[in-house]
Amino acid sequence: MDLAKYRALFLEEATDHLSEMSRALLVLEKRPDAREAIDEVFRMAHSIKGMAGSLGYDAITDLSHKLEDTMERFRSDGVVPAGEAGMALLFAGLEGLETMVAAVRADGEPAAPDSALLRRLEVEPDPQASGSLGSLEPDPKKVAMS
Amino acid sequence: MKRILIADDASFMRQMIRDIIEPEGYEVVGEAADGVDVIEQFLELRPDLVMMDIVMPKRSGIDAVKAIKVEDPGATVVMCSALGQEMLVMEAIEAGAKDFIVKPFKPDAVLTTLGKVLEKEI
Repeated sequence: MDLAKYRALFLEEATDHLSEMSRALLVLEKRPDAREAIDEVFRMAHSIKGMAGSLGYDAITDLSHKLEDTMERFRSDGVVPAGEAGMALLFAGLEGLETMVAAVRADGEPAAPDSALLRRLEVEPDPQASGSLGSLEPDPKKVAMS
Repeated sequence: MKRILIADDASFMRQMIRDIIEPEGYEVVGEAADGVDVIEQFLELRPDLVMMDIVMPKRSGIDAVKAIKVEDPGATVVMCSALGQEMLVMEAIEAGAKDFIVKPFKPDAVLTTLGKVLEKEI
């Protein structure tokens, strides 16, 4: 495998995907049930996972995989909850991936995984907690202000 | 020379498949980046085999398999899946896909699967 060629392809495509993900998250901030935006974030995480896995970037693979799993839950529910269990978590995931991709660009290898973020993504939301899946009521005004 | 159509929304993945199969004598006749494009290119190019990603924009790979099999029940499709997509792979096989390969791609596994599937078609 021509690593230099694939690393360049990865950087180009992952950067585009993260921009798309950012745009989709901004849409979801205003409309947390925007189906196309939910699908978009899911697909971008999935695609980054596939590319990173091919290059052995385990930290990026792990984070994007957990982000993909989180989006799979939100897809099933048809909505991204506000608060720490939802939008804030997705923005943190995006930021984590951006940091790791930037490290690949600078150093040729992804940054070390953010274990706290990975743990947050692993936790199933508590249905009783504020802002979690179970307590979410589709109130766009409330979400827009959060 | 067997004619292959590659469908994946990531150009990285399309390039990787191309780099694995072209040196082994396969001809890549087209690349599609979404589930609508692959159906259109299939109808135009009539390849011997389609390598189909599952997660794609516009229409999923599974939807695309179903549409292609309606147009051509003899079409040969191999799914490109990721770990954890076993249920989706099963759905694709039920829809008419012949086999699957798992990302990250291992060149030997890709070539063995293509060889096996195309041999059955002869």
